Amino acid sequence: MNTDFKLKLQSLVDGELGESEARALEARLVGDAEAQALKAELEMTRQALRGNELERAVPLSREFYWSQIERRIEQAERQAARSSSGLAVWLGRFWPQLAGATAAACLLAVVALNLRGVSESPWEDIETPLAEAGSFSFRSEQHRMTLVWVSFGEPSNEGTTEGTVN
Amino acid sequence: MAASKDYTKLSDEALVKASQRGVTKAFEELVARHRDKVYARAFSMMRNEDDAVDVSQEAWVKGWQRLKQFQGDSSFLTWMTRIVINLSLDALRKQKRQRAESIEELEDEAGGVERQMPVVTTNPTAGLERTELRQRIDKALSQLSYEHRTVLVLHEFEELEYKEIAKRMQCSIGTVMSRLFYARRKMAALMAGYKKKELAP
Repeated sequence: MNTDFKLKLQSLVDGELGESEARALEARLVGDAEAQALKAELEMTRQALRGNELERAVPLSREFYWSQIERRIEQAERQAARSSSGLAVWLGRFWPQLAGATAAACLLAVVALNLRGVSESPWEDIETPLAEAGSFSFRSEQHRMTLVWVSFGEPSNEGTTEGTVN
Repeated sequence: MAASKDYTKLSDEALVKASQRGVTKAFEELVARHRDKVYARAFSMMRNEDDAVDVSQEAWVKGWQRLKQFQGDSSFLTWMTRIVINLSLDALRKQKRQRAESIEELEDEAGGVERQMPVVTTNPTAGLERTELRQRIDKALSQLSYEHRTVLVLHEFEELEYKEIAKRMQCSIGTVMSRLFYARRKMAALMAGYKKKELAP
């Protein structure tokens, strides 16, 4: 008996075979005593185990068992509340920088999209000369224009924009 | 105190509805009613009292957190049992990652031992009282590898199909079939080998 056949035998016992496949396998079993014995063993084990899980009682008193669950629930709820308030604090703190950077990125995207049509522009240059991520300048020789967008981290300077046309 | 007494008279469905509204006393009653069954399933898989308590308590916490998702398609106990099975599987996977497998275990998984096992022809469970039979099964289960034990618990106790077991154990149906086969063969041999006196507490 090869492994494939043994596993098919098991599928037959578990009712996992299609009707025609099951009939074919049963026909094959007729003259095979070894396979019949194995099938009988598989059936016996299956039958013995079905629904016969040993009953067990929690080895703690009802009150103690529940009190531990209750504590875990409270802990999880506190943690969830902390992490959601933490996100709010983080957003509140970095909101000016985030807003500045987003605005700069949007402006850059708009400018880039507008210039897509001017493919033969001889001289276009985009750079971020300052260390801060929110500072950008754009220069187009063809349009004789330089645009500088500066966005500082401090809320008092937030959104300072300078535009120059030469 | 009086409110707590009232909850003991409610059905599971009513307790679930109250729990979904955030009434912890109702949930406490559900825990009291089903804690032994949930714990027993955790123990069948974990084979360790501390781990089973821990996993079963975690299952109740998850149950509370996900109560809103419970639609009543199955019984509350079935739903909780599925949660404890998933948590037990996670815990067993974690445990397995932390220890190296022995050569015997690897051979066992591949069915090396099965090839030398004669077929059990006389029913080793015939004439046993139900409690005795359950003890014999439990003792044999504790001697299997976690993969073999788990596949048997899911198939014979939870009555899941191959496909569903494969999904839960994150393996192929072929793997489920071969694990189940070797596990059954080993169970048959183990159960046949036990004498009555060995099971006495």
